[in-house]
Amino acid sequence: MEDDYYSIESILAENQKIQCTFKIDIPEMGHLDGGKAGDLKALTKAQIPLWMAYIIIFSDYADFTVPPPFSARVRNALNAEPRSVRLSSQVGQGGLWYGFGRMIMNLLNDNSAKELSGVLTTTFRARLPEVIDQAQHFASLHAAAGPSSGDAGAAAFREGMDGTERELFQLAQDSAKKTKAWYETSERGRR
Amino acid sequence: MALPPSLRTSITPLELELVASEQLVEIVPLVSMERTAFISGAYGPLRPPTKCKVPLWMASNLKLKKKCHIVPPAWLNVDFLQERLLRETTDPSFSEMPFRFAEVAKILLDVASDDLQNPDRIRTLLKDIREARQAKSREGLSKLDHNELMLPNLCAMEINEIRPFFVRGMNVLTQLTREGTQADAMDMS
Repeated sequence: MEDDYYSIESILAENQKIQCTFKIDIPEMGHLDGGKAGDLKALTKAQIPLWMAYIIIFSDYADFTVPPPFSARVRNALNAEPRSVRLSSQVGQGGLWYGFGRMIMNLLNDNSAKELSGVLTTTFRARLPEVIDQAQHFASLHAAAGPSSGDAGAAAFREGMDGTERELFQLAQDSAKKTKAWYETSERGRR
Repeated sequence: MALPPSLRTSITPLELELVASEQLVEIVPLVSMERTAFISGAYGPLRPPTKCKVPLWMASNLKLKKKCHIVPPAWLNVDFLQERLLRETTDPSFSEMPFRFAEVAKILLDVASDDLQNPDRIRTLLKDIREARQAKSREGLSKLDHNELMLPNLCAMEINEIRPFFVRGMNVLTQLTREGTQADAMDMS
């Protein structure tokens, strides 16, 4: 999620489209609107991928609206219960909701950016203990544990984790597994 | 030589055990040995039945060959651990434990359980202490901030366990919050 040009995570996070309204006529760019040749007229709405939208907006050729994953509806749901929102369904399976949000933050002006930043951090902080709990719970079961483990709520949360949370889950699970394995060998007289 | 991803984030517990084994423990040797130079220093001479301080790796080696008895360190007994457990369960902060108590305790329980009084009770107490501390570090997780997080009196094995995801979580938070302050900075300039 860094600003690094080569960061795979930010490339993946940018792979989302946002709704833009063009402010001026752009010659020969009609195909952006979905297959029509010719010019792109002012005030046309088009779905533009984020990595292109960045330049277009900073060059002041278009305006954009806050995309659906960060709409008021989602924010309200997050205010109510952050852990029950399925972030992965917002940005597609394996998507990066936090990464996407960060990119959008770069495009917004100060006030909305701060607000969005607040939403992102509060959500992250609220969901993190749940992620870690589940990771440590799974560390104690061996890899063969099937769907019988965990109740439906926990499984639903796991489905709804976004890419960043999955990574943290992986890290926590690995380290917990290693430590647990080390403690387990303590009981046998292996020396 | 690149490390596999799982090793890039933290040290393995076995490595921590190795580092902890440098600590000196007291032994009662059963054989004689001249003052010998090892890589980490010169130890000995071993003159039974005089006690002598040697590194833990050497002590455990001798013990396995039945050439010494290990004197448990001052903190590895039922009373001390019981008192610490009590403090652990009543205080919201971590109580003071020897920094590498987990590793040293494991090694001694493995090789020298006959030199300890009541080893099973000690095992249970250590397990309880560990679980109490884990619960506290879980609470500390919810206070995660992108700037700093102080968890005083955390021990080597525990730090190693939480390091990967704590650091990554703080990274993520930095990226998510930095924008707020950066925008301010750009505003003022």
